[in-house]
Amino acid sequence: MSDSTTALKEAGQRRIRMNRPVNGQMLKRLTEVGLIWLKANQQTVNALNVFPVPDGDTGTNMVLTMQSACDEIANTPERNVGKIAHQIAQGALMGARGNSGVILSQLWRGFARSLDTKETLIAADLVEALNEARDTAYKGVVRPVEGTILTVAKDLAAGCEAALKKSDSLVAILEAGVKAADQSVEHTPELLPVLKEAGVVDAGGKGLFFILEGMLRWINGQPLDGGAAVAQPLAALKLEETLEAIEPGQDWELVIDFRPHQALDLEDFYKNLEEMGTSIQIGEGDGMYRLHIHVPDEKRSQPWDYAMRLGTVTNIAIENLVAQMEEIERKKNGGDLQLMPVEADQIAVVAVAPGPGIARVFASLGVAGLVEGGQTMNPSTQQIIAAFENLPTNKVIVLPNNKNIIMAAEAAAELAVKEVKVIKSCTVPQGLAAMMRLAPDGDLEQVAADMVKAMEDVQTGEITTATRNVTIDGVKVKKGQVIGLHNGNLVLSSPDLEKACLELMEKMSLQDYELLTLFYGADVDKALVNKISDAIRAAYPEQEIEVQEGGQPHYHFICAVE
Amino acid sequence: MSEAINPHGSINVAPRAIATIAYQAAIESYGVVGLASKNLVNGLTQMVIKDPSHGIEVQYQDDQVDIDIYIIVEYGTRIKSVAASVAKTVRYHVEKSLSLPINEVNVHVQGLRFSNQE
Repeated sequence: MSDSTTALKEAGQRRIRMNRPVNGQMLKRLTEVGLIWLKANQQTVNALNVFPVPDGDTGTNMVLTMQSACDEIANTPERNVGKIAHQIAQGALMGARGNSGVILSQLWRGFARSLDTKETLIAADLVEALNEARDTAYKGVVRPVEGTILTVAKDLAAGCEAALKKSDSLVAILEAGVKAADQSVEHTPELLPVLKEAGVVDAGGKGLFFILEGMLRWINGQPLDGGAAVAQPLAALKLEETLEAIEPGQDWELVIDFRPHQALDLEDFYKNLEEMGTSIQIGEGDGMYRLHIHVPDEKRSQPWDYAMRLGTVTNIAIENLVAQMEEIERKKNGGDLQLMPVEADQIAVVAVAPGPGIARVFASLGVAGLVEGGQTMNPSTQQIIAAFENLPTNKVIVLPNNKNIIMAAEAAAELAVKEVKVIKSCTVPQGLAAMMRLAPDGDLEQVAADMVKAMEDVQTGEITTATRNVTIDGVKVKKGQVIGLHNGNLVLSSPDLEKACLELMEKMSLQDYELLTLFYGADVDKALVNKISDAIRAAYPEQEIEVQEGGQPHYHFICAVE
Repeated sequence: MSEAINPHGSINVAPRAIATIAYQAAIESYGVVGLASKNLVNGLTQMVIKDPSHGIEVQYQDDQVDIDIYIIVEYGTRIKSVAASVAKTVRYHVEKSLSLPINEVNVHVQGLRFSNQE
């Protein structure tokens, strides 16, 4: 006789035995197979947690609780079903771990109390015991939360009670109970919003379902060693990592949750998806699938249509990958600035920066604090103090980088209890030049003096647009014209940005210097920047020209000439 | 006072407010059938109280928040697990609501309650 026919025959015998009154040894066996199936699905239950809610290892906790219950009855020859139930309850109580473990032990406690000292268990006893289990579990908490294992226990009892009206077969009642528990588990997100938000069902309820299902599977002769899970558990899906793998031509990211009408052929499913897009990931959680895919514009609706053919689509999230990537780039550029950590007794520099690009340059030069501000957006004294008051040193240098901010910086120096030196840098290039001379371990007076001196090495050019008509130093300016300033003095006006830049370089005598650093502003088009920098390069082939994103408002260009 | 500085000013959270959050979390914790005042003499501890400030003490010391909870537990549950899960739940809910790290959550089991005569 083959193995499978033996298994079938045994299962048949079990079904027959189950429909006779159940004795203690049978209950013991049922408890053990419940544990085996729960163990096989332990990770599935663990993965259901709504991170980071408490009780983050429900599957493990329930397994340990059930294990303790089974250990208690492992070697007992007891045939009295009531006594075995009491021993199981005792074991579960002793080993109860976590919220769901405690509730599980209470369920067993009520179950055992109902059976009391009964020799055997028949269908009506089972229903009564499950009712008592539910009542006992509910008594253990002042305010029961629905959508948890408690709800599943309640629905389980109700399902079995309803089945008793139609049949007094224990197997039929257990089947009805498993079905009721399954539906109850699926319904938990409707009762508990945090589950719905996380897209999971309640873990404790699911664990209880697995225990019951394990019993039924054993009776039916189904394997208990866990099916091969090809799709990963939903919680293990790491979709954020997929963004890094975007290939050209992928415009949309789709995440589709659906419940297939029938079991998915994963291989086939995968193959079909591969024709639509890339970065395919499939997650599975109790009958629900989550599909992640990157697709090009023209195929954006295909995965959706495909999922709808396979089952019921419950949720779709669509993101524009191109925009998402740009956002990430932007964050990379302007976001996390690494400020220089200072130690006690070292000199810390706080710089005022008018744009993210300039802030980044200051950060790379080793400032310990940054304040956002510049032309027409002067930071307050308080903001400047806030940038350095929490630094672990008493020696501070402030670079205002704008002549309108020097006063606020000096006020900050006066108010602060720390020893604060303000270097009167009127422009960003001056501040940058000063930073070059920073020696964090030096003497504050000496370092400050060096930094002031360093400012003389640099010429500052600024290009902006005039906001009114004015004539200064013989330069006539009309509102809306491009104007150039050399070290803060108005030197030219021009209707054209490129011409103004070239003219400014001439006024600054770039040919006598070595290096030009061009910080372009937030409002300048990148193509125009390239055009202008190429024009400057052509005009000054001897000089090194560096172009940096400054991100500053108002000023189209800030130039440092050294 | 628990304080957080934001660009617009400061935020103060009174101990009583924290106690209320902790109270809600505690009574939704499985196995807890009530909170008890720590000052009641023995025998009265089983009185279930409704005022959160009685069963819960919140203390601040140099920016650190300590919470003491006095609970009554259902007889027949594993007290250690119940207490551990109360501590975990309370810490989670308070930290989530306040974004303030909690130093200690101490759970004191003041009594047990029999729901059923066995």
